[in-house]
Amino acid sequence: MFAPLFLLHAPDGFFSTPVALFMWAATIAALAISLRKAGQDLDERAVPLMGVMAAFIFAAQMFNFQIPGGTSGHLLGGVLAGVLLGPWAGTIVMACVIGVQGLVFQDGGLVAMGANIFNMGIVGTLGGYALYRTLAAALGGELKARLPAAAIAAWVSVEAAAILAAVQLSVSGTTALGAALVAMAGWHALIGIGESVITVAALSFIAASRADLLELRNLRPGRPGATLSGELP
Amino acid sequence: MKIVACVAFILALSLLPVGSFIALAAAWLVLVALSGVARVGPVRMVRSSFVALPFAAAAMPLLFTKDGDAIGTVDFGLFALTATWPGLYAVLTIVIKSWVSVQAATMLVFTTRFHDLMHGFERLRLPRLMVAIISLMYRYLAVLTGEASRMMRARAARSAMLPGAKRPSVRWQAGVVGNMVGALFLRSYERSERVYVAMQARGYDGTMVRHEAPPLGFAGMTAIGAVAGALAAFELVAFLWLPRP
Repeated sequence: MFAPLFLLHAPDGFFSTPVALFMWAATIAALAISLRKAGQDLDERAVPLMGVMAAFIFAAQMFNFQIPGGTSGHLLGGVLAGVLLGPWAGTIVMACVIGVQGLVFQDGGLVAMGANIFNMGIVGTLGGYALYRTLAAALGGELKARLPAAAIAAWVSVEAAAILAAVQLSVSGTTALGAALVAMAGWHALIGIGESVITVAALSFIAASRADLLELRNLRPGRPGATLSGELP
Repeated sequence: MKIVACVAFILALSLLPVGSFIALAAAWLVLVALSGVARVGPVRMVRSSFVALPFAAAAMPLLFTKDGDAIGTVDFGLFALTATWPGLYAVLTIVIKSWVSVQAATMLVFTTRFHDLMHGFERLRLPRLMVAIISLMYRYLAVLTGEASRMMRARAARSAMLPGAKRPSVRWQAGVVGNMVGALFLRSYERSERVYVAMQARGYDGTMVRHEAPPLGFAGMTAIGAVAGALAAFELVAFLWLPRP
C-alpha cells in the first residue's frame, strides 16, 4: 500500500497552484451535480446509509494483499461504490472518504485534495460506473454481464486515475510526462488487476448471499420493494 | 477560521518560487513555534509528517530532465542520466514544500476537535448532506475498521503456511480479499439499517439536528485578515528580497 497508491493520494506541494485550483473547481462542479442528482433519488434513509457506507469503503481499503515485488495493493473501491450505491451517491461517498483521509490521516494534501478527489472519486466512480453500464448493456444486459463489465470498469478506473495524476503532475512541472506516464500507468496496470479481481469477488459474494442489495441504487421513496429488511412493518 | 488559515498557509507555500529555501525554513519555524504554543509535541508532528515522503519518488525524474549545470552523470550503459543543479533545486523545493504542508495540516487536526472541524466546514458552505455523511462516517469509522481488522486477524489465523511452501497466487489472494470486502459490505449495510431504525426511534425525519455554530465575530474576521496580510507580505518578501540559488 505504500509507494504505488500514495501516488494517487498526492500530498500538497506536488501540484502547482493553478493545477490544484483548477482541479478543485472541477471537483466542486461535479460534486454539486452529484449532490443534486443524489438528492432527487434518495430519501431520508440516505444519510445513515451513505455515512456507514463511507466508513465501509474506508475500512475495506485496509484489506491488503501481497504483490510480487514486496509491496502490497488494496482496493480503491470507486467502481464498487458506483455499482452498489449508484453513480451519484457513490461519488459523494468516495469524495467523503478521500476528504477524511486527507484531512484526518494526512493521506493526501488539502490544496491537492481537489485533484485527488477528481482522480479517484469522480473519474473512478462516475466514469467507472458509466463504463460499467455501457459494457453491461453491450454484453447482453446487467444481469448476465455484471461481473465482466465490473472487472473491466474497475481496471480502467484505476488506470485512468493514474494517467490523470501523471498528466497533472507533468502539467505542474513536477515530473516529465513520459517518465510519469510509464511509472504510474505501469504500476497501476498491476494494481488495477487486483482492483478488478477484488471488485468481482465482492460483487459475486454479495450476489450469492444478498442479491437484493445489488439493486440498492434503485432505491427510491415510494417504490415497491424499497422497504429495508430491518424496518418494522 | 483555523481551516481558512491553514489552507491559506499551504496555498502560500505552493506559490513560492523554486529554490526559496529560506522562506520555507521561516515558514517551518513559524509552524514549530505554533506547535509549541499549542503543546503538540514536535516528535508527534515530525513523525506524522513522513507519510508524504514516499511520494517524493515521483519528483525524482525532474532531477535529470531540467537543463542546466551538471552535478554529475550516472552511466547506465545504455543511456546516461545527467543530474543538474536546477533539477536538484526543483526536487528539493517540492519535497520540502510538501513536508511543511503536511505538518501544517497535522497542526490543524491535532488542535481542533472533529466536531469543530465539521462546524467550520459547514460555515465554509460545504453542503449539509456531505457534512452529515462525514460526521456519521467518522462515528462509524472506528467500528468498521475494528470489524475489518478482526476479519484480517481471522484470515491470518487461518492462513498458516508451511515453511518453503509456494505463496498462493495474487489472483487467489485478491479473491479472498474480495470475499472479505463483500462480507464487510453486508455487515456495514445491516449496521446502517440498524442505525437508521435507531435514528428514527429518536425522532429523525430526514433532517439532521444542527447545533448552530456561533457566528464568526469581529475578532475572527480580524484574525483572518491578519493571517492573510501576513501571508501576502511573506510571499512578497520571498519573491523580491530573499536570495535564491
